[in-house]
Amino acid sequence: MQSSEQEEDLRLLRESARTLFDRAGGSGRSRKLRDAGGEFDPDMVRELGEAGVFGVAVPEEQGGLGMGLAAGGVIAEEVGRVIAPEPVVATIGLGLGLLRRLCPEHPKLEQLIGGEASLAVAWQERGPGGASADATCRYADGKLTGGKAWVVGAGGTQDFLVVAEADGGPVLVLAEASADGLVTTRRAQADGSSLGELSFSGTPAAELACGAAVQGALSEAVADATALAAAELVGLSQRAFEITLDYIKTREQFNKPIGSFQVIQHRAVDLNVMCEVAQAAVREVLMRMDGETDASIRARLASRAKARAVTAARKVTRDAIQLHGAVGYTDEFDIGLYLNRALVLSAWLGDDAYHRRIWFDAREEEGAAQ
Amino acid sequence: MTDWNAMSDAEFRKEVRGFLEAEYPEELRHLPHRPKFAEIEHWHRKLHTKGWVAPAWPAEYGGMGLNAAKLLIFYEEQQRWGVNRGRDMGVQMVGPLIIKFGTQKQKNYWLPRILSCEDIWCQGYSEPGAGSDLANLRTRAEIDGDDFVINGQKIWTTMAHDATHIFMLVRTDPDAPKKQQGISFVLASMDQPGVEVRTITTLSGETEFCEVFFDNARTPRENLVGELNKGWTMAKALLSFERIFIGSPSLAQNALGQLESFARGRGAFDDPVFRDRFAQAALDVEDHAALYSRFADQLKRGETLGADVSMLKIWVTECFQRITELMIEAAGPDGGTVGPLQVGNVSVDVLASFYKARPTTIYGGSNEIQRNILSKAVLGLPD
Ligand SMILES: Cc1cc2nc3c(=O)[nH]c(=O)nc-3n(C[C@H](O)[C@H](O)[C@H](O)COP(=O)(O)OP(=O)(O)OC[C@H]3O[C@@H](n4cnc5c(N)ncnc54)[C@H](O)[C@@H]3O)c2cc1C
Repeated sequence: MQSSEQEEDLRLLRESARTLFDRAGGSGRSRKLRDAGGEFDPDMVRELGEAGVFGVAVPEEQGGLGMGLAAGGVIAEEVGRVIAPEPVVATIGLGLGLLRRLCPEHPKLEQLIGGEASLAVAWQERGPGGASADATCRYADGKLTGGKAWVVGAGGTQDFLVVAEADGGPVLVLAEASADGLVTTRRAQADGSSLGELSFSGTPAAELACGAAVQGALSEAVADATALAAAELVGLSQRAFEITLDYIKTREQFNKPIGSFQVIQHRAVDLNVMCEVAQAAVREVLMRMDGETDASIRARLASRAKARAVTAARKVTRDAIQLHGAVGYTDEFDIGLYLNRALVLSAWLGDDAYHRRIWFDAREEEGAAQ
Repeated sequence: MTDWNAMSDAEFRKEVRGFLEAEYPEELRHLPHRPKFAEIEHWHRKLHTKGWVAPAWPAEYGGMGLNAAKLLIFYEEQQRWGVNRGRDMGVQMVGPLIIKFGTQKQKNYWLPRILSCEDIWCQGYSEPGAGSDLANLRTRAEIDGDDFVINGQKIWTTMAHDATHIFMLVRTDPDAPKKQQGISFVLASMDQPGVEVRTITTLSGETEFCEVFFDNARTPRENLVGELNKGWTMAKALLSFERIFIGSPSLAQNALGQLESFARGRGAFDDPVFRDRFAQAALDVEDHAALYSRFADQLKRGETLGADVSMLKIWVTECFQRITELMIEAAGPDGGTVGPLQVGNVSVDVLASFYKARPTTIYGGSNEIQRNILSKAVLGLPD
């Protein structure tokens, strides 16, 4: 059980984040940005930074609020509720996760916390069957060659943090988005956002860190981001369920609200139970990750969270469309935005089947070690 | 008298665990069937001497007086060690009702007899025409001098063939405007000519529940608990703790443990499809436990639970059923075989687990009824 003091802090954080997003226009803002073809709103990023949103999980001595991943989860849930397109989870989990672990003195850390800089993290590479385990992107003599894939926030970013291979092992380098020899291709996503595919040919970049520490920090940051993405899906599912619940209470057929039909009621209950289990599980995971230093246990917890959140979001957003009838299949109704965002968030950093596999294998390994 | 609630949770857990591990008879651990009293009597005597028969009852009535937090620990430890619940309908159901609504005389008479198991109770609520729609019950109790005269039939009465007494809901005013009115709560002895018990064989071949027929059976009027015609509200008032208990993770957790050792022995984990289904089930159990602790924390803070606690029961019972399906799957061609299956040094009764999981979605308010409750009371969906 968390302390009541911590619980109260998180409650206040949730309230202020919700107010902030609602005032900015809620899910309507996301629709407007999408329709305008913009990926996200740089002014919103600045506002979020000023409100302290990005720094919640960064320790106080590094300029953050030191509230842990549990607080990051609170923010992520609120982001999910309004399907905000800003790369909040990627920033908290990946960008800040790497910088604070590897180079806390770097000025980018402070700028990123304050929403004054944008920084997209490029770490995965495309292999024949999906993500490839071996990095081929090379860093030598201050220059990058090779490619990276599935980069969140590549569209509007000023800089890229790139994980590459050097002679001495993995390195973390900083490359400007406008640097020579860098080609960014955007792959359109279901929700109107895009993922970047980067190709480097002798692109100048500055080394920030090297060696085994980079691999370690990357694994930790990916675990954080995975668990936070799960929290974002939890908020998204919860809100999609609320929208659906309102709809079935008001839509009438056969002279009654459709929510009076038992089949509909029971399906609604099942969605509600899904949401509650997912919320309880993901919040518990984040809390436990905060108290856990063993990287493999943290990774396993993160997989548990993502597996659950994707399962729940899939069920909730699909059933939500069904319960809306034909309007659910239109672009005009918000519920579709939730489905589209869920598709993107589910695929990012691994879906439920993937994470169940990771989770199971880690459990086996631990069992064998004992 | 020890004040258990003053102990730290960890200390208390240690105390309970120590006692169970030292004293609970090995042959009764994880019993696959519901025992008759004679089978567990030696264990009950130990519990009784220790004063631990009724953890939830106030100390003044011979209970342990545990608060909600300690109570959950107590049950968790019992379940962890595979301790049989024993014949606990007296302690769990009729006792609390007498404590809350009974007269001093009723308390003085019945409560010690419940603790000692001098009286062994069964629950007579359901009838052939009154299952989910319990208020539809028809068994009549008519006043005749100092007695009630009871006529009618109860069914699905668990362990009635091994009970000395029955607590029952009976109709005392057939003319009441609503069927929930006119129902009373009475206690009766099973040992009389007007009561006939017929056992019903379950799907698993056990005799666990019965039909009970009342043909001019009698019980003194002083065995009415609470007010006449107010039995319905009383019976409902007792639900709060029971509802979290029925949604606790233990049944599913134990089944998962069995599934794992069985599947490992059978090499089922070599199959990636099975691995994924196992992982799903294991995560279903783990994530349910997270939701369960949210409700348990609520109880620990002294809050009362809302109707939303029903979601625990829905989730865990359906999960329990899926786990037992996986056991059958892992058993392959042995999936229809009666009795324990031996793999390596573990033996698992696959079918017994499967059968045990079946009625969990039926009793204690069927899962459909729980969904009705949630849709109305929690989601506010219209009629
Ligand atoms: C192992 C076991 C032990 C039991 N022990 C006892 C005992 O000791 N004492 C006792 O009094 N009773 C006992 N019961 C009875 C139990 O309480 C009833 O089985 C339960 O209330 C359901 O009633 P029913 O069996 O008549 O099913 P029904 O009410 O006939 O239900 C049949 C099906 O219809 C569904 N249904 C019914 N109404 C609705 C509705 N409004 N909306 C949607 N679906 C609905 C149900 O969910 C179920 O799936 C026991 C039952 C079992 C299985």
